[in-house]
Amino acid sequence: MIKVEGVNKKFDGFQALQDLDLNVKKGSIYGLVGTNGAGKTTIIKHVTGVLLQDTGTIEIEGEPVYENIGIKSRMGYIPDDLFFFSPYNIRESSRFFKSVYPNWNEERYEQMVKRFDLSEKGKLSKFSKGMQKQAAFILTMSSMPEYLILDEPIDGLDPIIRKLVWKYVIEDVAERDMTVLVSSHNLREMEGICDSIGILSKGRMMIERDLDELKSDIHKIQVAFESKPDGAYQGLNVLHQENRGTVDLLIVRNKREVVEDIIKKNKPLVFDLLPLSLEEIFIYELGGGDSEIESIIF
Amino acid sequence: MFQLDLKSRTSIYEQIVDNIKELILSGVLRAEDKLPSVRELSKTLTVNPNTTQKAYRELEYQGFVYTVSGLGTFVAERVAEKIDPKRLEELKEEAGRLVRELLFLGLGEREIRALFEDVLLERGVLS
Repeated sequence: MIKVEGVNKKFDGFQALQDLDLNVKKGSIYGLVGTNGAGKTTIIKHVTGVLLQDTGTIEIEGEPVYENIGIKSRMGYIPDDLFFFSPYNIRESSRFFKSVYPNWNEERYEQMVKRFDLSEKGKLSKFSKGMQKQAAFILTMSSMPEYLILDEPIDGLDPIIRKLVWKYVIEDVAERDMTVLVSSHNLREMEGICDSIGILSKGRMMIERDLDELKSDIHKIQVAFESKPDGAYQGLNVLHQENRGTVDLLIVRNKREVVEDIIKKNKPLVFDLLPLSLEEIFIYELGGGDSEIESIIF
Repeated sequence: MFQLDLKSRTSIYEQIVDNIKELILSGVLRAEDKLPSVRELSKTLTVNPNTTQKAYRELEYQGFVYTVSGLGTFVAERVAEKIDPKRLEELKEEAGRLVRELLFLGLGEREIRALFEDVLLERGVLS
């Protein structure tokens, strides 16, 4: 269990994190999403104990993370900006990982190198970006982490390797109850993998919820009436509305049953209710009111 | 066993529920058949185990499966009174919508009636 409470961080007067709370349950896959510069990497660097917060607490299993070797040895972290000792190949790097991580699994390392088909001879620093990510993933997963923290893990990977990466992650969550915190801009892929979602904006946590709950709360509806009665949409909690001919398109935040009751009362000719994708939720929650963004999307 | 559509608007958990229901209703899975464990299914589908777990719980709640702790999840014998009235309403509405569309396409009473009778015959409700 990862628990972040009221964390503040300033860099040279710039408020990077503001009263940030974040909770990851054990065995959960938590997706951290947010616009560029929202503070995703910053909070990840705090959760991994790379940076120290100004105020607030960051605890894993009730212990503060910063300088906590016991916790860190059970944590795997793949940063967005990878680092390798420049003369090392992956085999040499694995010896370093083995010396640091007590749960290192040699068998898994061998098996993963074969699966990913990576050269054990080439210097890691000479690898392409995608191959470096794979190498980092193999090394991290072979250390058998209980907490896996991934910053943009699939960025730059081809679809086949991405699938393989998720397979390993899922397997460890299923078999060992591993806890995962992952940040990404690829919302479609996050939607298939995560069970909880945290949406960050400007250093604050906007929404933190179970993904299915989040999705069951917000809907896209298309309605047409023979003649639209006054106040047909009263009580719907409309986030966005536009007309396409006689059909109205609305984004509403409400329970499905409530929406259906209100709309059906007036005998609509057409009534479609669709769940929103995570991508759409992200846009409505973060781009709401910004007409420039809206005009691109609709 | 089945495939998921990641592009679909339907959530993964609902897709799992729907797919397994479909397998049960079509007779591919019979009463007392064992379902794959949450771990197995999660790994085959590359789906978050928590999501699979939730889908199994929903199926259990709807009466399609039952779980024996330590042994696994099994397909339940169908019991009529367990039908969710809301779901029933939804399906009736859906059927009505399809009939209206068939009428719009120009099908007559006899053709539509035959369509229903075919399904009833296939299921052995009508002989």
